[in-house]
Amino acid sequence: MKKALCLILALVFVCSFAACGAESGKSVPVIGISQYGEHASLDNCREGFLAGLAEAGLVEGTDYTYDYQNAGFDDNIATQIAQNFSSKNVALMCAIATPAATACYAAAEDKDIPVVFTAITDPVQAHLDSGNITGTSDKLPVDAQLELIRALQPDAKTIGILYTTSEPNSVSAIAEYEEKAPAYGFTVEALGVTAQSEVTQGADTLIRKGVDCFSNLTDNNVVGVLPSILEKTNEAGIPVYGSEVEQVKLGCVACAGIDYFLLGKDTGAMAAKILRGEAKASEMEYKTISEYAYYTNSAALAQMQITVPDSIASTMQDAAA
Amino acid sequence: MLELCNITKVFNPGTVTETTVFSDFSLSVQKGEFVSVVGSNGSGKTTLLNILCGSVAPTSGEVHIGGKVVNRQKDYERYRTIGRVYQDPALGTCPSLTVFENLSLADNKGKRFGLSAGVNKKRQPFYREQLASLGLGLEDKMHVRMGALSGGQRQAVALLMATLTPLDVLILDEHTAALDPRTAETIMELTNRIVREKELTALMVTHNLRYAAEYGTRLLMLDKGQIVLDVSGEEKKTTTTESILQIFNRISIECGN
Amino acid sequence: MTDLIISTLTQGFIYALLSYGVFITYKILDFPDLTVDGSFPLGAAVTAVLLTRGVHPYLTLPIALAVGALAGLVTGLIHVRGHVRDLLAGIITMTALFSVNLQIAGSNLTVERKVDTIFNLPFLSGISLLYRKLIVSFVLALLCKLILDAYFRTKNGLLLRAVGDNSTLVTSLAKDMGSVKILGLVLSNALVALAGCVVCHEQRSFSATMGTGQVVFGLATVIIGSTLFKKLGFVKGTTAAAVGSILYKICIQCAISLGLPANFLKLITAVLFLLILLAGNLRKGEKSRA
Repeated sequence: MKKALCLILALVFVCSFAACGAESGKSVPVIGISQYGEHASLDNCREGFLAGLAEAGLVEGTDYTYDYQNAGFDDNIATQIAQNFSSKNVALMCAIATPAATACYAAAEDKDIPVVFTAITDPVQAHLDSGNITGTSDKLPVDAQLELIRALQPDAKTIGILYTTSEPNSVSAIAEYEEKAPAYGFTVEALGVTAQSEVTQGADTLIRKGVDCFSNLTDNNVVGVLPSILEKTNEAGIPVYGSEVEQVKLGCVACAGIDYFLLGKDTGAMAAKILRGEAKASEMEYKTISEYAYYTNSAALAQMQITVPDSIASTMQDAAA
Repeated sequence: MLELCNITKVFNPGTVTETTVFSDFSLSVQKGEFVSVVGSNGSGKTTLLNILCGSVAPTSGEVHIGGKVVNRQKDYERYRTIGRVYQDPALGTCPSLTVFENLSLADNKGKRFGLSAGVNKKRQPFYREQLASLGLGLEDKMHVRMGALSGGQRQAVALLMATLTPLDVLILDEHTAALDPRTAETIMELTNRIVREKELTALMVTHNLRYAAEYGTRLLMLDKGQIVLDVSGEEKKTTTTESILQIFNRISIECGN
Repeated sequence: MTDLIISTLTQGFIYALLSYGVFITYKILDFPDLTVDGSFPLGAAVTAVLLTRGVHPYLTLPIALAVGALAGLVTGLIHVRGHVRDLLAGIITMTALFSVNLQIAGSNLTVERKVDTIFNLPFLSGISLLYRKLIVSFVLALLCKLILDAYFRTKNGLLLRAVGDNSTLVTSLAKDMGSVKILGLVLSNALVALAGCVVCHEQRSFSATMGTGQVVFGLATVIIGSTLFKKLGFVKGTTAAAVGSILYKICIQCAISLGLPANFLKLITAVLFLLILLAGNLRKGEKSRA
């Protein structure tokens, strides 16, 4: 029994390590996709990325194969995934979200493996803007969001926002909100939390402070418990605006935001150019999306008794489930 | 050598569970005395030891050890001149350290525990000799982990460790109670020998009336925080187990149990 | 394949520093210290800031040790002098450190590539980065192990070992067991912060959440190590912890390499741990029967 166990263990270890060695010998280029965690926006990025490759004419199996790994929001695992890709000498690493990109970039330090990232708000701040790396940024369209809220709620005065203090993306978005809100006649009531478990308490606090609406960023912790926030706000009759279509599907009234699938698709197109040798990651500037997607949730709008003004109605798509 | 002056101890004062264990209790033990303390449960034996060693503070009264008032000293400070052997053999030694390491720790008591070598090879012959004197064959188990020894062996080493450095008083806290009768006998005899050889002042709490009668130079019986029997000298030598038992039973009947 | 083995070993050696720390608190002091989740990123935060400011990479190591020691001191004082339960004392410091770390680093912080790290030493410049990382992390892990082993043999080290074993004895030796416990926590968290520091050098980044789960990792490595080597008395606890750390990293790497659906990663890792522990326990069982 003991021998059998040890044998199995040894076999698993050897086979799995050997598998890596073998794969690097194949002629079809491998793309290592490292996704920081499982959540709808990031999944959309990945699917978009693959669609982008396909649109560029690359066929899976003949032009490339891919190895998709998910770190489950664990930085250490993201590190090991990146090292795995690096030691396999993959042709390209696709990193979804900042921690995954940081890890991939570090693992590729002494090898010339290009890294293409997506879903990073501020690549400059993360020092991911120079070197053999490029990608797409998901910086929030704060102006467009404020404009949308003003159009749907002409009398609203305060916007409540929940965010995680340790997410640089959220912190910079809050700063931008606070800077730009006065021009649209809003004040921002931002409430920082340190962990997901504190988010719903934070929502209670904001509701008690009497905010006129919530705006929801792409903060991972907050988005993770969005349904329970919506439960509370619906009860209190406060509309919540989102930053992304998935959030509207969950019950936010509307959003001006990024379509992560499209963002992923753009990233895929960049990756395709690199794989074909048409461009180098080190020479490509990262892209910030300038076109935003507008979505509404008709059911949520009706519940909050908000009507969409005719002037913008044509630009909105309904994403109600 | 050891003096308790007008000790009063009240537990949970001002509550429903308020209990007075000692009220104006005094005891004086001379240098070189070997005192056995007997008494039923709740008579105050354990509290007496705790007050002495500093793990329980008296409500009022003074504790003198070696001629000094030690009321303000923390328990670990008092142990500089107190040696103690516990009922549980596991409490007197470190199970995951070897016999050698345990003895080295005890040998360093009162000195600095700095970054010099933990064990001193030069002391090994001395430890060997000490272990051999226990007569349990422990001198060949110098490098065995303490946890691998039997309860009796551990208690013997604990006794040795507690008396390795100069002491004002040795406290024996029912130190044979957890051992089988034969081992208990061995440990008791060892204790007696060590106390005599090293001319220690010792305070032994025991439930074994025979030990109390046979060993020691003085015998105390406690009841409800009072000394009900205090014999020493010639009188102590003539005290038998039976005579103590008689007094013991009388008290117990008065208590209603 | 060689690359993969090397980078996995490197990870194992780096995290061995953390395992030593947890070994001290969990195995020696018998103190479940949750400070680790905060002192690990603390070491990284300080390192990231220092490196960005142009401080010499070597200097970050002693500084990380010092700040980690401070974190351990806080937990120790809360527990010993404030009489707060061990778990809670650690939780308090860990929680506070989350804010402290963010305050130190500003936010998640990345160190630019042009900044030198301990892995870019001039005398190793002829070797590829992959091997440099291995060598440096191995030397650090070995050095810390040897120093710790030597320390455990000193009088002070013996006293530390005695506290977790039997704190009553320490009091009987006229030593304040509280101070000895604090010392252990200081030592442990200094090592944990050092691990955070080296990870920051290696990853060139600090993130506020990088500490999450490090206690669990540390405990797992110490337990795996000690289970495997229980019967071999001559294997030091520090060695067992380091081997545990390497095995843990190998398990994760295997789970990644097996190419199963990404969401099975943690499950596979868990199954591999279980198999290792079972193999260790079986070996014990068979020996005792023999």
